[in-house]
Amino acid sequence: MKVMDRVRHSMMGRSFFRAPDRVTTRDVAAGHWANFFLHIYPVKMRRKEISFRYSWYLGAISTVLFGSLVASGVYLMFFYVPSPANAYGDIINLETQVAFGQYIRNVHRWSAHLMVLAVSFHMARVFYRGAYKSPREFNWVIGVVLLLLTLLLSFTGYLLPWDQLAYWAVTVGTGMATYVPFIGDRVSEILLGGPAVGASTLIRFYVLHVALLPAVLVVVLAVHLWRWRKDSMLDMERSEP
Amino acid sequence: MSDQTENEESPLAGEAYTLTSEPKLIDGRRVLGVVPGKPSTGESKDLIDEDAVMVWPHLLVRHAVAALAVMLLVLLLALLFDAPLREIANPNLTPNPEKAPWYFAALQELLAHFHPLVAGILVPTGILFGLAALPYLDRNAYLKPRHRKVAITAFTAFLGIWIILTLVGFAFRGPNWGWVWPWNEWYGEL
Repeated sequence: MKVMDRVRHSMMGRSFFRAPDRVTTRDVAAGHWANFFLHIYPVKMRRKEISFRYSWYLGAISTVLFGSLVASGVYLMFFYVPSPANAYGDIINLETQVAFGQYIRNVHRWSAHLMVLAVSFHMARVFYRGAYKSPREFNWVIGVVLLLLTLLLSFTGYLLPWDQLAYWAVTVGTGMATYVPFIGDRVSEILLGGPAVGASTLIRFYVLHVALLPAVLVVVLAVHLWRWRKDSMLDMERSEP
Repeated sequence: MSDQTENEESPLAGEAYTLTSEPKLIDGRRVLGVVPGKPSTGESKDLIDEDAVMVWPHLLVRHAVAALAVMLLVLLLALLFDAPLREIANPNLTPNPEKAPWYFAALQELLAHFHPLVAGILVPTGILFGLAALPYLDRNAYLKPRHRKVAITAFTAFLGIWIILTLVGFAFRGPNWGWVWPWNEWYGEL
């Protein structure tokens, strides 16, 4: 520990940590405040709110699973070409030739299923806690948007292996779009890029899955966490009638 | 280290405090010159739920444990169960049953009972807007379950119906969307 303190007090350490003293509670708070990676967290929270039974840490777990999905997904992207001629063969190649290919694909699949579950349970937990109540209403709305984004990410990823399971699940799912009143056929065509699931659908779902939806989710998640941090010490119990 | 934990004797007694000396700490606070005795409010501090505690390390270490547990679960699932891969997509060969992903199984089950406009468009849109509107509809400020009977009953009923529909659509439906018992025939796809 002493060695680490000397590092923190060196010229480089000071430039790196900004708040090198960790002696008093105030120093620790200043260090937290000055840290980029910790800035998504509040500095202090109520004792009861950091316990497992309060939140079951489902928000944190959802975020961890998203991280796992980004990491494994980027690995898969190196070996995958989103065209009907290549996609299926690339998955076979990934499972048989690529180092850890099958394992990383499994990680991606199970993380995705678990993230849908974790986000859903998170919503239920927040409901039963009453944590959506004033003044946190809007963060609940942002959470509903995040649930929708999670489902869309999972659904767009479902098509990419281009096997029978993927093809027909997406055919069933997108088939519902044709029933939108008045503009159903237009919606379906925009979604699929044609009259049926095909090459244009695959590239559309791929771009949505690896670029657009994750980017939107990161931004919305940032707003969600920012509001959570800002509201972390609000006095809700005391205002209870 | 000893001068940071010393509470029994006065750490400053008989000692002139100078700017060059190590800071004296009592209870995590830097002291300039006091003679600490027993605190006037009692010897030990009770842990109070409403008290603010530092997120670093108290919450972060819990989140780290939760993250490790989840990653262990993912690792085990990934080692034990391979992600499914069927034959290459064939637009001319419709499997029977056609199954949507499990999280849309409830909607697909509804689709078997209602017009697609209802099951495919109105219900999911209604659920999304209903969920988003929940905090604006439920203006009851109470947090304790015994004061929120209406909201909790309604939400639990919705959740229960949704879980049952999802299970039915996922595991209890076979060819031509007919009823099957999952322990006899299995058609669920993950």
